[in-house]
Order: sequence, then C-alpha cells, then structure tokens
Amino acid sequence: MSSLSLFDRLGEKLVRNLAEFSSRRSVLGTVGAAMAAPAFPVLPVARAAEANAAPVPSTQTLTDFERKAQSTDPTKCDYWRHCAIDGLLCGCCGGGIHTCPPGAEPSPVSWIGTCRNPDDGRSYVIAYRDCCGRTTCQTSADCHCNTSDHEMPIYRPQASNDIIWCFGTQTAVYHCSTAAIIGQAG
Amino acid sequence: MAGLRKSRWAAMAIAAAGLSGVSGTPSARAAQPVLQAEQSTVATLPTMSSHWFLPATGSESYTLYNGDTAQILGTLPGDLISNAAFSPDGKTFYVAVTMWARGDHGPREDFLRAYDAHTLALVKEIELPPRALAVYKIQNMDLSQDGHWAYIFDMSPATGITVIDLKAGKVVRTVDTPGCALVFPWKSGGLSSLCGDGSLTNVAVDASGAAKVSHVAPFFDANNDPVFEQSPIDRHAGIAFFITYTGKVFETSLGATPTIGTPWTLSAAAGQPVATTGVQDVAWRPGGKEPFAYQRATRQLYALMHMGTYWTHKREGNEIWVYDTTAHTLLRRIALPADCVGIAVSQDQHPLLYALTGEGKAFVMDAASGKVLHTIDARIGGIALTPDL
Repeated sequence: MSSLSLFDRLGEKLVRNLAEFSSRRSVLGTVGAAMAAPAFPVLPVARAAEANAAPVPSTQTLTDFERKAQSTDPTKCDYWRHCAIDGLLCGCCGGGIHTCPPGAEPSPVSWIGTCRNPDDGRSYVIAYRDCCGRTTCQTSADCHCNTSDHEMPIYRPQASNDIIWCFGTQTAVYHCSTAAIIGQAG
Repeated sequence: MAGLRKSRWAAMAIAAAGLSGVSGTPSARAAQPVLQAEQSTVATLPTMSSHWFLPATGSESYTLYNGDTAQILGTLPGDLISNAAFSPDGKTFYVAVTMWARGDHGPREDFLRAYDAHTLALVKEIELPPRALAVYKIQNMDLSQDGHWAYIFDMSPATGITVIDLKAGKVVRTVDTPGCALVFPWKSGGLSSLCGDGSLTNVAVDASGAAKVSHVAPFFDANNDPVFEQSPIDRHAGIAFFITYTGKVFETSLGATPTIGTPWTLSAAAGQPVATTGVQDVAWRPGGKEPFAYQRATRQLYALMHMGTYWTHKREGNEIWVYDTTAHTLLRRIALPADCVGIAVSQDQHPLLYALTGEGKAFVMDAASGKVLHTIDARIGGIALTPDL
C-alpha cells in the first residue's frame, strides 16, 4: 500500500494528467465541472457564481419534482435543492443543508445539479458535496433521497449521483450528502 | 423479573405436559433410540446451476440463492460499493472490495477476492489500485469470456481500466480512459467503455496483457438522451444493447472497431407512443437500479418499464416488457406484484426471471409465463447477478 494519502495521490494524478493535457482535456473538463474549489477560475461552477442574475423564465415547463418542490423544510427529499440528490441528508444526521455533521469532512469536489427555487422561480447550480470520513449516517428512511432531475450516467461524472464523492478527503468513506448553492444557473 | 421467571416456568410446564401427552406411555418412549451427540460440519455446494442467483443483500453481503427452491445457499462478503462476478466456468466467484484499515479511516485497501464455488472458501486476494466507488454499479467490473482477465473501472477522479490476469493472480496494467467509464467486455480480446461525448473507447488486450486503445465517433446524444450505465450484454457473442433514457436501443457488436446498429425504440416496438425527452411527456419508459436483462438462449431483452416523464430513469417499474431483439417486437408484458427496481434472468433454456423491490423482496418467476414461483423477503437489494455458464 502506498504511504501517500489519497489526497496526495489524487493531486499527483491530476498533475500528471494536466501535464499531458493535450490528450486529457476531457479529464480537465470532468474535474473542472465537478470542482467547487476556486482553484480553477474558468470552471462552469465559478462562472455560474459570478453571473449576473438571469431573468426569470416566464414560460418554463417544470419537471414533476419542480412542480411539487417546497422551500420550507430542508430535511425532506422534496426540498427544492434536492432535485438530483442520491444519499442521506446531512440535515438529518447532525449537520445541515451545507454543513457536515460533527466529525465528518466535506468533500472539496462534488456532483452538481440545477434546481429551481419555487420562491423566486430561478434555477440555481447546486453542489451536492458529500460528507466523508465517518461511517454511514443511520437516520430515518425519509431522509434517504434518490431524485434524478438532470442526473446523468457515471461517464458524465459531474452530473452523476451514484458516485461516492469523497475525493480529496482523508478517507473516501461516505457519511451523508449536502446541497450547497453555488450560484444562479446561467 | 420475578413475574417473568414465574410465567416462563408456567409455560415450560404446559409444554412438558403437552409433550408427554403426545409421546405416549413410558414404555413407548424407552423404545425410541437415544439421540446421539453431533459433530459440527460445514456444508458444500453442488455444481453451479443456471438457476442460482446472487442478489446484493443488506449493506454488507451478496447472498447466493437457488432460484428453484428460493433457499439460501451461502453468503459472500460485499457492501454497496463492491462488485461481484461469476467466473464463466462456474468454478469461482469474484468480489471486488474496498476497505479502510480502521473502519472509517486508516489506509485504504482495494482487493479482488476469489471464492471457490464449491466451498465458498476465500482462495485468493489480488491487491488492486483504487477502484471507482459508486453504489451498486454492476458494469464497474466484468470478466473476459475465457475467464483469463478481469477488467475493473477506476475513478480517482481521472478514469481508467485496471486489467487483472486471473490465472497469474496479479494486476497487469491500468489503462487511462479519459472521459470514459464502465466495462463492456468483447467476445474476446478486450472491452469497451462508454464516453461522455456519446462515443466508445475500445481497449484491446492481447495474450500478454498489453493494451491498445481505439475510439469510435459519437453515436448517441449524451447531453439529451444518454445511454444507461446498466445496458445489458451478451458475453458469448460480444454484443451490447446500449439503451438510452428514452428507450432507443443500439445493438452493438463490440471490438476494436465496433459495429453499431440502427437504433430501434422500446416504446415504438411495443406499439406505444414514442417516449421523448419532454419533462412533461408521460410515456412508458425503462427505469430503476438494474432495469435490463438479456436472455442469450432466446435473444430476448427484458426491460423494467414504468409510465413517467423524462428524468425518471431511476424510478421503479410496475411491468417487465419482453422483446425479440431480432425482430424488434414486443413479445409479452409481465405485470409485477409490486413495484420493482431491478431485474435479472437466468441463461438456460427454461429461464427464471427475478424482480427485486426496493424494500427487500425478490419475486422468482417463470420467465415464459410470468407466473410468480416464489417470493423471498430477506433484505434483498436492488441488483442481482446470474451465472452465464
């Protein structure tokens, strides 16, 4: 077993891939799209955060989830930010909508979703950051959500919610999932 | 406590009185042979049957069942992020696992474990590079049809395929497959992976384990109608049925230069309105955790179907639709006793069909008639494997 931490190995692999970037653009795209950290200023997520408020669409066909979404209880699967979440809500495990429970560690990378806030009618980019490094939260079945608006297969990892998104954390053990706003969807 | 003890004694006295009444006179009891002391033994398994199936169960095991009797045969360790496979010769089970030395922390270890199919003894552990970790993703691992190679999908998050020589019991190499994922083995000599641009990356693996990568042009719209990860394959023929969220079927002969057929559509082949990508277009669609199964002997495709809009690709199904993949026609519809998230089918001439609920049950059915032969309620997960002997 390598003595390097996962983070070190991850970093090394990324650097190696970046060094050969002419054939690895897709890796950059994949990682870039998923990264929520400010290390890559050209990322779609970063752009979303910096974008001016987009106009509220006047005629928008809503998905089933969007039609039923509520904005008052973030510990329910039908809370509007949970349109593409697969996992246990950290808010049911001692944490919150963007807060890991005590003892867990947020993953610096995540999959992302685009969810519509029923209060203002705008769509927002949501980073579903997993909290890691603690055994799986044992909470009520109501807090185990599996929604799939805009959810994609694992070969589009930035939008895939079956992956254990615990890259770059001390261990890749899954605990629960959060849903942080990154910015308005352009 | 005293009250409890008293009531226990009372219950035992009643039971003893009942027993003496049944067993007759003292002389009749004396005529019965004395029960002998027993030695502990360990069961072994008969030759693998096509009617065995291996569902994920609970959160820490795969459980081997005899589909004919619905009885448990044995247990293999493996959690939600493990991968299991039957060897093509029916002599070995493989399970790829990832664990941490101290439970939720400490050094990470990834292994491919080999279990003898007669004794379920752990006979080999092959150390692996870090595997891709995803919940119940059957196509993260597969074996070559000759049983020589295992292919395992890696994601760190850069993607690649680890090639393992099962005969030598060691990793041969890891092949970078940027932007691509999953394992769809060829008839022989390699595997293909699905890519984020709607194409395939093809990895030829020669007898020495050397790898050569090739690509094909995009053939599906990954942005608007992606291919299911769980698209089924015929390992013997090296054919994949790549099926999109709306139910388009691309029959593909896998290889270094794959042949991709003209797509047909599950809904149209059933005489139903064609499912579109509309988020309010309610139509029959495939969905679930393991929504497809392919029966090689009959060339029939089984699809778990539900009525829903686009983006309901993970929703449970209430019917299984069975297709003739040569004529592209619907043969029959099987109504399920409860909504199910996964299906599997045996590969013999008289196939059993397995349908798995999201709440721990499995229905064992006659695949031809759809008749439910057994119902198992034992913490069954959403996926199951069957041997392809």
